Amino acid sequence: MAGSGIVFGAVTHTYRPLRGRPVLALDGVSLEVKEREFVALLGPSGCGKSTLLYLLGGFLPIESGSITVNSKPVTQPGPDRGIVFQNYSLFPWKTVKQNVLYGLEKQRMPKAERERRAQELIELVHLKGFEDSYPSQLSGGMKQRVAIARTLAIDPETLLMDEPFGALDAQTRTLMHEELLAIMQRSPKTVVFVTHDVREAVYLADRVAVMTARPGRIKEIVDTRPASGSRANYLQAPEFTAKVDYLWNLVRDEAIRAQEDHG
Amino acid sequence: MAGVEKKSFLSPVWKRRLLRSSSVILLAVAWEWGARMHFVSDFLLPSLSTVLERLWNDTISGEILVALGLTMVRTFAGFTMAAFAGIIIGVTIARVSLVRWFFDPIVSVGNPLPKIAFLPIFILWFGVFDWSKIAMVAFSSVFPVVVATWAATENVDKYLVWSAESLGVDRRALLWQIILPSAMPGVFTGLQIALPISLIVVIICEMTMGGEGLGGSMMTSMRFADSPGVFSGIVAIAIIGSVLVKLMEIVRRRLLIWHAETAH
Amino acid sequence: MKDNIFIRYLPLVLLAILWEIAPRVHFVDPSELPPLSAVAAAWWSLLLDGDLWTNGISSLINWSFGLGSSIIIGIALGVMMAWSTTIDDIASPLVKALYPMPKSALIPVMILWLGLGAGSKIASIALSCLLPVIISAYNGARGVDQTLIWSARACGASNRNVLWEVILPGALPDILAGIRNAVAISFIVLVASELLVGQKGLGYLISFLGEGGVYDAMFAVVITVSALGFFADRAYLYFMRRTLVWRE
Repeated sequence: MAGSGIVFGAVTHTYRPLRGRPVLALDGVSLEVKEREFVALLGPSGCGKSTLLYLLGGFLPIESGSITVNSKPVTQPGPDRGIVFQNYSLFPWKTVKQNVLYGLEKQRMPKAERERRAQELIELVHLKGFEDSYPSQLSGGMKQRVAIARTLAIDPETLLMDEPFGALDAQTRTLMHEELLAIMQRSPKTVVFVTHDVREAVYLADRVAVMTARPGRIKEIVDTRPASGSRANYLQAPEFTAKVDYLWNLVRDEAIRAQEDHG
Repeated sequence: MAGVEKKSFLSPVWKRRLLRSSSVILLAVAWEWGARMHFVSDFLLPSLSTVLERLWNDTISGEILVALGLTMVRTFAGFTMAAFAGIIIGVTIARVSLVRWFFDPIVSVGNPLPKIAFLPIFILWFGVFDWSKIAMVAFSSVFPVVVATWAATENVDKYLVWSAESLGVDRRALLWQIILPSAMPGVFTGLQIALPISLIVVIICEMTMGGEGLGGSMMTSMRFADSPGVFSGIVAIAIIGSVLVKLMEIVRRRLLIWHAETAH
Repeated sequence: MKDNIFIRYLPLVLLAILWEIAPRVHFVDPSELPPLSAVAAAWWSLLLDGDLWTNGISSLINWSFGLGSSIIIGIALGVMMAWSTTIDDIASPLVKALYPMPKSALIPVMILWLGLGAGSKIASIALSCLLPVIISAYNGARGVDQTLIWSARACGASNRNVLWEVILPGALPDILAGIRNAVAISFIVLVASELLVGQKGLGYLISFLGEGGVYDAMFAVVITVSALGFFADRAYLYFMRRTLVWRE
């Protein structure tokens, strides 16, 4: 369907600190994300993948180039593009339930319906019983689940995820991958997922866009859907390892360049 | 900060730098211009130039220097007493449980008290001249020194202490060569807090009790409706306040030069 | 046993006993340090006479208006400075320049402008407490994580929502800490300004009794003022802890 999905058109972004020289973060990034597609942005630190996500989210002004969602240009943040951050970004003064309710309150949903939907989501992410807990009382994995529940509550068409599992330990991360895939099965969305973990990208995404070191450009886009169509046993499949190797080699050079650049 | 940064036609970074560096100057200019335009009477707000001129004249005539000298002597006398007593008490509290038991409620109750209320008591005890002021300063300033020293001494890295003990260092050397140097940054912070307090208390005492000294001369100016005198007094006090703070920073950097690597 | 509140405050009880005994046995001059019982008796009669009340109310009015206005204006200014880069660029250098100045030095100017009555005292308190509140509100608001603000926006929050529902609650811990500071300063400036000029207030009462030689009553009022400062701080701490219960 023409005009649907996300289109990045030659997006360029310069970072201008109050002190110091301006830095070119993104240099003419063009990318298309189809509706309901799961695309991962993969690249070394500083390549601008998070910046690209923030531009899509409307949190940073677009100076040069264009970003459209369903043919409408992005100008500011909105509930059509939900976001999940690496640091969970939960309101620490609100309980789990109050956090999840936040977006619903902004949508002026009637109270009974809000409560019902919030409860539904809390149970979806397996946090039943923790409705009245404060974030400071939860573990990292639990906090991230609250963050996901809060974002899903307002049912955005697009889901933006900025290294959401980066702060979690390996075991929790693996469990969260499975949970995320299960949730996406139930209510598919367009997902743009930023990560520097190659395996995570291949496992979760339909396509992986590899970015160069700063200034970021799209180096290559790789299809990472399992041939069987199902992600069960995907991790053990030889095609998985092959794709991971291929992508790692693409990223590796960029990672080395990024290190030299920063050092 | 508002979620989406606004664009303006002038390069945003330069506009900000310009604003930041010039805002104090702009205020000074506004003061001068506003006073000359007589928006309010000369009495209420003498022009900046009048105030500065007055300050300059008083400095040349030596008047300010006498007042400054008196205020400084009182400040440092009280501060030094508070520093000595405070450090000794603070270290002893951290090391001797009986002393800690005794001083703990005194410090915890005494800290939030408005100690300036005790000034009339000190006047009763020490008379209307310098000693009451100095005692008041010492009384007010000793608390932050005790609190900071106590915390710094108690929180010395215990692994440091254990390493030293396992090397066979005796208790006396442990105190003087390990614990006190480690506590020094925290102790000095307490002193940095106490010095401005000493200055404020001296000024309040001088304002209340009259006589010479920066506070006293400011009150005298006020009583004679000499507003340039009052304002120049404020400027003088502001300057001396900044100088003292800066001095402490310089001393700190010299004294704690070994600590320079730790971002303090 | 060590945690027992009685044992903890025992040194104060001992000091109180000392205060009673030392003047009575003339270990110290009782005209310079009246025994505790005499002070207590004087306090009681001041209370019955109404002197403590009328001056107390006067001080309370000065204190609450001064502190209250500094809190409201300070939070508003501090948050505005954090919100708008333009206001920040203009105001920050000014705040930094004014910070090291001893605020009590402003009392004579306030008297010059507002006279010997309540106005100058309220203004002195307000100005002295303003800066700590502004700075803590500013730091608190600036310290609110950018991602929290963005999350709120992605949930559909407007500018107004962000200000009231994200920035203010996020800045609250710092603001409350700054206000605690301001409470302590407010008592100092209140007493100082009342000692200096005026015909009413607890500070005035202290100096009046002192000049009249009625030392036991003078001590009584000094203790009263100190106790007020102490309990204000304690009550505030309790309030702070209850408000910030989510911090753990």
